[in-house]
Amino acid sequence: METKSKFLVGAALLVGAVGYLMYSGVQQTAMYYLTIEEFLAQREVYADEGVRIAGRVKPGTVAKRMTPSGEEFEFEIGDFVAEDEMGQTIPVYYLGVTPDMFKSEGGSDVIIEGTFRDGTLVAQNVMTSCPSKYEAEDGTGYPAEGGTDG
Amino acid sequence: MVDVGSLALLFWWVLAIYGIGTSPFGSYVRRRDFVASGENATLAVWGMVLVATAALLHGLVTSDFSLKYVAHYSSSTLPLQYKVAALWGGQAGSLLFWLVILTSMAAIVVLQNRERNRELMPYVTATLLVISLFFLSMVNFITPPFERLAFVPQEGRDLNPLLQNYWMTIHPPSLYVGFVGCSVPFAFAMAALATGRLDDVWIRTTRRWTLLAWFFLSLGNLFGAEWAYLVLGWGGYWAWDPVENAAFMPWLTCTAFLHSVMIQEKKNMLKVWNMVLVILTFLLTIFGTFLTRSGVISSVHSFTQSGLGPFFMSFLLVAAAAAFGLMFWRLRLLRSENELDSLLSRETAFLLNNLILVGICFAVFWGTVFPVVSEWVRGVKITVGPPFFNQVNAPLGLILLFLTGLGPVIAWRRATWSNLQRNVLRPMLFGVGVGAVLFVAGMRRGYAIVSFALCGVVLATISMEFFRGVRARQAMVGESAPTALVRLIGKNRRRYGGYIIHIGVVMMFLAFTGTSAFKQERQITVNPGDSFEIGNYSLRYDGVEEADSEHIAYLRANVAVFQGGELVETLQPEKRFYKKPEQPTTEVAIRSTLGADLYLVLGSFDQPTQMATIIAYINPLVGFLFWGGMVLVFGTFVTIWPQRATATAPAGAYSPGRNTVPAD
Repeated sequence: METKSKFLVGAALLVGAVGYLMYSGVQQTAMYYLTIEEFLAQREVYADEGVRIAGRVKPGTVAKRMTPSGEEFEFEIGDFVAEDEMGQTIPVYYLGVTPDMFKSEGGSDVIIEGTFRDGTLVAQNVMTSCPSKYEAEDGTGYPAEGGTDG
Repeated sequence: MVDVGSLALLFWWVLAIYGIGTSPFGSYVRRRDFVASGENATLAVWGMVLVATAALLHGLVTSDFSLKYVAHYSSSTLPLQYKVAALWGGQAGSLLFWLVILTSMAAIVVLQNRERNRELMPYVTATLLVISLFFLSMVNFITPPFERLAFVPQEGRDLNPLLQNYWMTIHPPSLYVGFVGCSVPFAFAMAALATGRLDDVWIRTTRRWTLLAWFFLSLGNLFGAEWAYLVLGWGGYWAWDPVENAAFMPWLTCTAFLHSVMIQEKKNMLKVWNMVLVILTFLLTIFGTFLTRSGVISSVHSFTQSGLGPFFMSFLLVAAAAAFGLMFWRLRLLRSENELDSLLSRETAFLLNNLILVGICFAVFWGTVFPVVSEWVRGVKITVGPPFFNQVNAPLGLILLFLTGLGPVIAWRRATWSNLQRNVLRPMLFGVGVGAVLFVAGMRRGYAIVSFALCGVVLATISMEFFRGVRARQAMVGESAPTALVRLIGKNRRRYGGYIIHIGVVMMFLAFTGTSAFKQERQITVNPGDSFEIGNYSLRYDGVEEADSEHIAYLRANVAVFQGGELVETLQPEKRFYKKPEQPTTEVAIRSTLGADLYLVLGSFDQPTQMATIIAYINPLVGFLFWGGMVLVFGTFVTIWPQRATATAPAGAYSPGRNTVPAD
């Protein structure tokens, strides 16, 4: 075989290998990423599948209990229709450690990885998505003006 | 001071447009004074940006809360170093900071090339000014850093506590210098295309710049990893988050470029490929900024979801069209002057190295944009998590590691059996030996064994190279071994500096392998006095203590660490409550040894029962990440340091692989 075609074959093999690795990687690790609205619209489709759902913790719904196997959390997440107003919600159960930005009075924006089973989202992982790591929400929030938006 | 800052910005915007027009026009009509005027405009732009930055810094340091930016990101009680760091803590400031670096680099380029590269320079300055103009328009019209507040608050909101950390102070600047540094080789590449001077002058001129950019990209990624490890408290240092990937992708293509230019310098080949790499690297730096600023890809650490996205996207598309357009226009001049001789040669090793680096970059890119693509195609957002990136990149990374061992010793053009026997056989045998010893010692993780064996191969080749070089010098000039080693490195800094960098990379691979294959994690809820085991440690939870300061309230868990029945240390993982803004943070406690880190996190604490959830990790070999990084820094210094003009050793001293590339 000519040197040049050997190189082409080699490159094609490599590209194929990378392609295969990527394809199988996607097959094995893909997860639906939905907003709570999208999830609510089609919740039976996603039952018993791994999902990642973004929503907001409904204020006043967080119940936590220390058990020998760790801290248990139960709360509801919903979509943020407007300030202080939440649409339909779903219950979440989580046994584990919540991130620093998770507020026990509710209101945190969260991303939850887990499985929806028998009407409850059983979370494997709870992450908080701060609207911005760098920038607080606009509007209020200067300490001297009283009242922060947290 | 503030008005001075805003005015400087506006004046500067006008100047930049002037400079962009003048320089290439001057070149076109062959008027040296026009070109010089364009270059002076570049220097003036630089002066203006310094004034504007000084004005913002002044506002931060003196806590002038009438400035929206200062009120947002600083406070009067913030320590001075973080007041300064607040310059790049927010969006408007970070764009300004970007501009400081870019225009400073442009000014240095202009001053360095007053008498050199006269044909290229008009287009180099024009390209750099076009890039500045984009950022300038942002700070002038979209996110002005000097916006005033209607009322003056008594106190600022303070910098996010997560950012009040030593590593986070130096992580963004190094990343920015790395990102911006990629603009300089890009500008020279564009100038080479515009003028048709496509020999390797532009590559030689920008070699140090590329290395510098690469160096800061490496540091930026490393500092980011270090910060994540010490501050975020999830036991790891890299999560394949879009924001991390944004910084990693240009590093990959830049690394590929640094390797493939050697082929162009030596063989006049791969000209198109090098052009593609330098363009891609630049575009990826802009794409990276776009990713972190636009909120297109949701990231757990998403930054401001501002309206900047469309602007960045447009700039990205225009820049890509212009750069690739120019390249296709000059395609005829970029034709290779040589052909590859054999499949078994150093050229092939380099080529393969390039393909794999770009392959990894593509996989990372694909994984990062997958949610967006899947939403376009199927209407559903689908994410791929860290397992995707690890699964794809682990085998590719291992091939790369193997090439790191093979590349430096396989012959150019065509490797013969005797070359392979002389240079390749022994390191391979050594690697196989390492693997066998680990297997016999009871290690059963296939990936880990292969990785450690390959680390052995690379270390063996590099040691062999140093050893042979030193021996040859000793035989020829009768120097002592240490002198010979120092002179050997000094004689060919680029080559031996590169080897030292490779040693650093091998050390990092040790850390990657240790933490991914042998990490242990244990989450446990305990009462005061309870003990539990992890690794060869026994830990006893001795309750919490509280402390208070003006800025922060602390909750510290006391954990006694026993090893072999002896108390070796008391670790205190903390929860902190910052009082302004009210925000809790987790402070990890780490016991570092060369073999492994014991990493403790106070997960949660229940006041009534005094029970605490503690997460304990054993991270084997993680320390090598940092030390490997330090070796990499040292190697880069060796490489980048100017070569002394007069050689101290006789010509014809040992040079394996017949390296005829002149040392820089």
